[in-house]
Amino acid sequence: MSETFTLVITGAPYSSQAPQTALGFAKAAVDAGHQIDRVFLYGDGVHLASALCAPPSDETHWPDEWSRFLTQHKIPGVACIASALRRGLVNETEQKRYELPSANLRAPFEIAGLGEWVEGRIKSTRTLYFHAGD
Amino acid sequence: MTTLIMIDQPPYGAWTGREALDMAFSLAAFDQSASLLFTGPGVNWLRQTQHAGGIEQKSVEKNLTAAPIFGMDAILADRAACIAYGLDEHSLIEGVTLVDADADLLTDYDHTAFAG
Amino acid sequence: MTDIQTLHILNKSPDHPRAARCVEMMSAEDGLLLTGNGVLLLARGNLLPGASKVFALIPDVEARGLGDLSGNVSSVDFAEMVTLSLQAQRVISW
Repeated sequence: MSETFTLVITGAPYSSQAPQTALGFAKAAVDAGHQIDRVFLYGDGVHLASALCAPPSDETHWPDEWSRFLTQHKIPGVACIASALRRGLVNETEQKRYELPSANLRAPFEIAGLGEWVEGRIKSTRTLYFHAGD
Repeated sequence: MTTLIMIDQPPYGAWTGREALDMAFSLAAFDQSASLLFTGPGVNWLRQTQHAGGIEQKSVEKNLTAAPIFGMDAILADRAACIAYGLDEHSLIEGVTLVDADADLLTDYDHTAFAG
Repeated sequence: MTDIQTLHILNKSPDHPRAARCVEMMSAEDGLLLTGNGVLLLARGNLLPGASKVFALIPDVEARGLGDLSGNVSSVDFAEMVTLSLQAQRVISW
């Protein structure tokens, strides 16, 4: 039976394993025929949506891997606006609003409020959290 | 659907607790049942007379006393952690229910989450 | 595989306060899934909850050189992690 998941990532790439574990889970869920309603980035997890990450070429580019996965499967990726603004992650709308020198939100991620998390939670069979380790 | 948001980090010097509080307020704003559970050093959120101006932060005590007004079901605190941090009915803010944070408590909720 | 009341997903190493709290809040009907640094609990066998079902995410186990699992710990891959999360009545990520 096909079930629906919302995934919440709260750990940042390159300081935690959270985006990597979440991607492994997401790919397995899709392979098993399940739906991923949305991926919500919260707290330090918003760094995954940065367009400016440039890891060394012999390391996996997790933001890029996630972007491709979301695009391929048409899964919405949402970064929490409050978490994002505090940590310097902005789209063009917020860049203009706060008169910042640049926008750095990676496609296909969007910025929205916690209501997106609440809605995903209601619509999904399971909501799973991927936190930073230690 | 009932949700328990757990806070196990102290109120200042870390942001995860604040982001957990935002999650709980957000659920309440969307008419979803939400309660908060403070464990470990997290119980220090619940101490009266916090004055955070000196570290340029907002006092979380004010946020928490507003929780029932915003539709939060309950503010729970782990009894053992309160004892460990010297918190009793005289030093806790109003409206806190002491509980034993154990496996039984978790079965009262459909969903339990940390903010990070 | 039998029903699991609560699946606890632990990705913190055994000395993290949340690891101790997780084990404290488990019942015999619960399952424990170790991921990330949570798998280091396998090297601290005396801390493993005796009564509960214990699973460990295989790439994380192998990465840390703990591939030789003891009898009451089951290794799972991501596909099995997805199945476990659906079998449990609720999931908590510590």
